[in-house]
Amino acid sequence: MKKLSIGLVVGGALVGLARALDFPFVFQMMFFGQALFGAAVFMLLDAPSLKTMSGMKSGAAIVVFYIVLCTVCIAGASMWPQFDPEDEKGKIAKILAPKRAATEQGKAEELIARTKALDEQVKALEVRLKALGGDQQMAKEGPVSGAPPVVAKAATGDFMKIGEEQWQLHECYNCHKLKGEGGKKRGPELDNIGSYLTAAEIKQKIFNPKSYMAEGFEKEWEKGKMPDKFKDVMEDSDATALATWLSTFKNTSVNTPKPIKKT
Amino acid sequence: MKMWQRSLVATCAFLVLFGGVAYAQTSEAPAVDFSYTGNRTAVWIVAQLHTLFGAFILGAPIFIVISEWLGYRKQDLRYDRLAKELTKVTVILFSMTALTGGLFIFVLLAAYPQFTTWFINQFYLVFAVIYPLMFISGTIVLYMYFYMWDAWKGEKKGRHIALGVLLNLICIATMFVINGPTSFMNTPPKSEGISPQDFLVAATLWDKIANQTWMPLNLHRIDGNVAFGGFVTGMIAAYMYMRAKTQEERAYYDWMGFVGNLIGVGAMLFQPITGLLLAYEMCDYDFSFCPYMMADQLSMFFEMQGAMVGLMFLASNYYVWLSLKRIEGIEKVRMTILAPIVMVAFPFVMMVVMNYYWIPEPMSLAFLLPLALAPFLFGRFIPITVSALTVIKIGFLMVIVGDAIWVTPHGFAATGAKMVAELEMPEAWSFLGGMPAKLSAIFTLVFVTVVNYVVYNRAIRQGTIIWGKIDFTAQFVLIFLAFTSIWTMGLMGAVRSLVRKYFHTYNLMPDFSPESFTPTLSYSAWWITGITVVFFTVVSFAVIVALRPSESKGRVAEGSPVPARAK
Repeated sequence: MKKLSIGLVVGGALVGLARALDFPFVFQMMFFGQALFGAAVFMLLDAPSLKTMSGMKSGAAIVVFYIVLCTVCIAGASMWPQFDPEDEKGKIAKILAPKRAATEQGKAEELIARTKALDEQVKALEVRLKALGGDQQMAKEGPVSGAPPVVAKAATGDFMKIGEEQWQLHECYNCHKLKGEGGKKRGPELDNIGSYLTAAEIKQKIFNPKSYMAEGFEKEWEKGKMPDKFKDVMEDSDATALATWLSTFKNTSVNTPKPIKKT
Repeated sequence: MKMWQRSLVATCAFLVLFGGVAYAQTSEAPAVDFSYTGNRTAVWIVAQLHTLFGAFILGAPIFIVISEWLGYRKQDLRYDRLAKELTKVTVILFSMTALTGGLFIFVLLAAYPQFTTWFINQFYLVFAVIYPLMFISGTIVLYMYFYMWDAWKGEKKGRHIALGVLLNLICIATMFVINGPTSFMNTPPKSEGISPQDFLVAATLWDKIANQTWMPLNLHRIDGNVAFGGFVTGMIAAYMYMRAKTQEERAYYDWMGFVGNLIGVGAMLFQPITGLLLAYEMCDYDFSFCPYMMADQLSMFFEMQGAMVGLMFLASNYYVWLSLKRIEGIEKVRMTILAPIVMVAFPFVMMVVMNYYWIPEPMSLAFLLPLALAPFLFGRFIPITVSALTVIKIGFLMVIVGDAIWVTPHGFAATGAKMVAELEMPEAWSFLGGMPAKLSAIFTLVFVTVVNYVVYNRAIRQGTIIWGKIDFTAQFVLIFLAFTSIWTMGLMGAVRSLVRKYFHTYNLMPDFSPESFTPTLSYSAWWITGITVVFFTVVSFAVIVALRPSESKGRVAEGSPVPARAK
């Protein structure tokens, strides 16, 4: 009881302190839980000895112990915040789409998709012709094109949108802060990058991370910090879109470190 | 299990393995859909089981031969008995390793035929020739080692120990060989300015094997396997202690648990260091691994790891505590006051130092090494001492503090994208969620445990230990240590595989399957627990089969109080 009381007092003090220091409620509860856990450990140290068991009794004790262990492991893991795979699935599909299209399977799938699309077009035309009243109209419509629907060139607005989407897809926010979001000081804040680098230069930095190094991020052992993989995982047009989008950020009130040309 | 049965199992496994390799050369077959588990989880289950059995059969021989040598050198039959009993279990688990290895290739081929074909072609010589040959050599030497035990005793014991050393060399070489393809999947060789695909075309087999994380993985696994072998030995001892009917038997299995735990903890102390080295090389290879592991999708896996490792350190220290209770004269054992002072100061000093001099800046060692060594170097010059039990109690407090620092996250959100102010630590305290803080927590656990074991060693030397009289709770602690070490191994194995993200082989072979995403920690925990339970069931069965009570009659008389230093 004495140790439990100490645990409660320490836990209460930690909660009070954490509240005074503006820790969110969930942290306050965690500190309280840790204090109680500590008390439980010290109670265990002075617990009376367990009587020796043997035979079936010890076998049953082992089975019960394993059940408790399994429950603790699963419940413990389930209590932490869980990552939602749905957040990732769409991103992965988009990143892998060009690679998939380049494979034999991807090409076959694309052909099937195009065939299906053509089939749909033919059916739609047939319905339209029937509605117009007869086969004689068919000649006026001309032959059905076998070519896939032409994708319109993205307008400037769409291009910027693609750039922003690339920022999200490749999770650049994990290292770089932009518009006050993301970044853990691993990479420089980029709100003013447009004042220093052109779109072409930013693209060069993305494809060759050692081409430019921001001031304060040039320690010898941090040379390879920015992954040297984007030239392999990004399409050229996507990198251009991302670089163009980033080059529009010219917020001089943010202290974006000056990039220095290296190679 | 008789020898012909073991041989049959091993033969079947190799048939599947060779058949798989041959099939991989001809097949363009579509993938099989594994119902209920899905393809990725099906591969996960067999791969993890194979790794667990492999870890035991590679780790156990290391200290089997050390134990045999100690028995020979000290003329203490208990070491010889321990070594022989463990070899019996290892022989059974060797067959299981081969069986699950064959099954692994089979499931991999069925689930991912295109990738497996490509992968085997990359390492054809390894999969078709070197690995099977080494495994067969290992099996032959293991059988020789086991069956020559009684024939090569007395003057021929040295020959038998040499055979054990040979077995270990083969086992370690086998692990090094298979770690090549394993690490290749995470960090295939690359070069600046050349695409990974182009580089691979010109790469030799050695280039592929000796990739950036190969040696760190080798070191981490050697160390992990020894720790794992030690803890499983402890678990076997706990089972046998519970089955024991005589005081003599209890005394022996109490001692065996003590040895297993000592080896397990000794190797576990190096695990954070080799683990950090592996993580460091991964981050150096591609820095996007780092936030993915520590701050994004897998961050909560590391929180769980912190909780589990913290519990393991608590348990290993608790075993010391229970063990000390049966040492007569423990109250007279004392230690310099510097030990508890450094214990308390250690996490905070290290946190500050690592914030200024982050790895690999060597300057941090100039501060931390003198601090860590102070109790051992300068303790004798300080006249004030404290009792061993007080030192250990302060140690427990610091293990709790260390673990609290480790499991305190930057925020209660699984990814940075979902982080909001109500879940995030205040900016002024965010250093508690950073790597320097985590590192200080890890090394506090290691430092406290080292000090506690030094105290323990001193108590054993100065006091009188009564084997067979340990608190019965200690047996559950041994089982707990084995279970949590295996569970943690499963968890970190999953992390190592998941780090590849949506690639089978990073940046080289994309995974287009619908299961190419990061699973939740909860989902992973269910499967890791299930795999651990299956492994435990098989090991328990092997122990029951291999170590029947009748085997242990007529051994050395033990159980009476013996001055510890006489051991």
